[in-house]
Amino acid sequence: MERPVFQPTGTPVMDLDTPALVVDLDVMERNIETLHSRFDQSTAKVRPHVTGHQTPKIAHRQLQAANAVGGISVTTVGEAEVFGDAGITDILVASQIVTQPKIRRLCALAGSNRIAVAVDNPQNVADLSQAASAQGVTLGVLVELDVGLGRCGVAPSGEAVELSRAVSRSPGLRFDGIMAIAPFPMSAGEGGGSSEFPERQERDAISWQVLQQVLDTRQLIEKAGLPVSTVSVGGTHNYDIAAGMAGITEVQAGSYPLMDHLYCRLRPEFSPAAKILAAVISRPTGESAVLDAGHKATGPDRGMAVLEGVAGAQAVRFSAEHGVLDLQTGPAQNIKAGDKTWLVPYNLGLCFNQYDYVRAVRGDKLEGFWPIAGRGRFD
Amino acid sequence: MEQQYRPMPGTPVEDLETPCLILDMDALDHNMDVMADYYEGRDSKLRPHSKNHKTPALAHRQIRRGGTIGGVCSAKVSEAEVMVHGGIPSVFVTSEVASPIKIDRLCTLAQQAEILVSCDNAENAKNLSKAAAARGVDLGVVIELETGLRRCGVQEMEQGVALAKTIDALPGLNFKGIMSHQTIPEMTEREDRVTEGYRVIKNVIDLRNAIESAGIPVEIVSTGETWSYDVAGEIPGVTEVQGGSYLVMETGYSYMTEFQYSGKVLTTVISTPRPGVAITDAGQKAISTLRNMPEVEGFPGVTVESMDPDHAILHLDDGVQLTPGDQLTLIPSQQDATVSRWDRFIGVRDGKVEVVWDIQARGCHN
Repeated sequence: MERPVFQPTGTPVMDLDTPALVVDLDVMERNIETLHSRFDQSTAKVRPHVTGHQTPKIAHRQLQAANAVGGISVTTVGEAEVFGDAGITDILVASQIVTQPKIRRLCALAGSNRIAVAVDNPQNVADLSQAASAQGVTLGVLVELDVGLGRCGVAPSGEAVELSRAVSRSPGLRFDGIMAIAPFPMSAGEGGGSSEFPERQERDAISWQVLQQVLDTRQLIEKAGLPVSTVSVGGTHNYDIAAGMAGITEVQAGSYPLMDHLYCRLRPEFSPAAKILAAVISRPTGESAVLDAGHKATGPDRGMAVLEGVAGAQAVRFSAEHGVLDLQTGPAQNIKAGDKTWLVPYNLGLCFNQYDYVRAVRGDKLEGFWPIAGRGRFD
Repeated sequence: MEQQYRPMPGTPVEDLETPCLILDMDALDHNMDVMADYYEGRDSKLRPHSKNHKTPALAHRQIRRGGTIGGVCSAKVSEAEVMVHGGIPSVFVTSEVASPIKIDRLCTLAQQAEILVSCDNAENAKNLSKAAAARGVDLGVVIELETGLRRCGVQEMEQGVALAKTIDALPGLNFKGIMSHQTIPEMTEREDRVTEGYRVIKNVIDLRNAIESAGIPVEIVSTGETWSYDVAGEIPGVTEVQGGSYLVMETGYSYMTEFQYSGKVLTTVISTPRPGVAITDAGQKAISTLRNMPEVEGFPGVTVESMDPDHAILHLDDGVQLTPGDQLTLIPSQQDATVSRWDRFIGVRDGKVEVVWDIQARGCHN
């Protein structure tokens, strides 16, 4: 587990021991306000997906904001247990739960919380139904559609209607509706960091088309006589399109409070609120500096963290324990051992996955250490 | 963390909750034996790197099994704290420690165990000295030499000799010697590794000789790692080798055929949405993909096509069928980047859980 120096509240941010995962609360609150206010005139509401930040305290802030649906979504049963213990009683496990022990844990949670789960397979529906009946609970079920992500989900078609019918006939299950995680509107090669996004207008058109498939499927299911109370779609990259489409009831957005380098390129109306504070530990040559944050402290599997605030310098390599800066110009070369710099993670979830505490900061002063309580709950 | 999954010893592997990080105990013992046998009777010894496993219980096993110097390396001060608190008597922090808070923690550790730290500049040496002298402790200091990693370290011989003189003259510091770390070459032939190992380590020996010529004894020459364990170990003058990857192993080291894969991630199929595709419950939060996708063990025709933070997407060859609930075993391409995402090792032998270890120094970045 992380062993931070628990410095007192009020400590200036630049005095924090490093590497430190820091969240600027003012920026975070502005981001939350920006996204949630977009739903003022919408029939849809926000269901924060917390699998990126894994932090109950941040989830509660999101739920206190306007237009929140009153619950969250998570990816694993372990995460649902953590956030349930943190007092959040409406949880969508937006993934398929197929093994018997996990289904039993899900049912145990459903004893005192409103729990829903995604399905894409009739055998799984039967297993969930049997366990829920045996444990005397009701599980909400959303049929997951694959609208181009290429991961889980049934095709948005007759197959979805069939599966919805199976759910609605199963004891112990409550057919809530459908969900879909819309794919990132990318040209090609996400993760390399060099890929270009399509223009905004084209992206919006792609997002609209993708979400329209979800609404078409809703109609098909309702035509078959099954009321669809929930149409849940993701995420931060298409929230405003989703907010403007009647029939969508909730948006599972996750990245918007804290953001990361990738999402900031796509959605400039938000600013990065989570950054890594790292210190220079060595200046081996005139053109290079070595930081105390490597890949274990930044999580660069989908792209490297980006150096912020030092003109003429760039983070060029991360080994396990160290980051290497290339110092191209005179002023950048004034960096000395002991100096601290900021890195913006490329992917929020993979960065938070490496820490146990957020250093919450307001106005450059430490406000507290917030446990990333869901970290590591891959189970 | 405390409420995380901890199966009882004796639990059959097929009943484990997934994803989970397992250690094949036979492979683990075998890998430790290879090192113990190699270093037995040699002047050089292994100083296992604890950044790879982050687990005091495993450090003790490595030391007990033999071939080691009786201590470990750590990458960070907080990792060294975990090792010292776990009872390891000698810890070498193989990074420069620059901030006053960390230097202070290092001095506290030096009251409890032998502490060595690497250093590449005089200003840092003075800061270490001031703190150690004020606390009344001795810090062992090892000069880092750059030999191709393009990271920390002094760049030239004269720089190294001058720094050795500075350290030797400072109160609170014991000049111990020199260290150098080398990049892992993608050299599958041992012959090439021998040539490359001799080429880079020659610089280290040259610096040692230069410092001794200046009248300062060099007690420690620490260099080499898993890829060069049997090269560095043969070069006269090398006293310690910093091997770590050999223990848990990874597909990146598949050419080191004397070692076996011990660390693996069990995962379960959660969806088979289309023919030829299966989705499992282990993603990039659980397995590093920095170098490569993991390999699927013992299941011909199944490959990991891509991963997102929470899922693996498998490609199934024609005729291969998987069903939701099926369990698969993944072998990571990079072990330390995978281990550092987990809080527990589940040690498995003969298909049953033998032991569960907390990865106590996971997350110790500072």
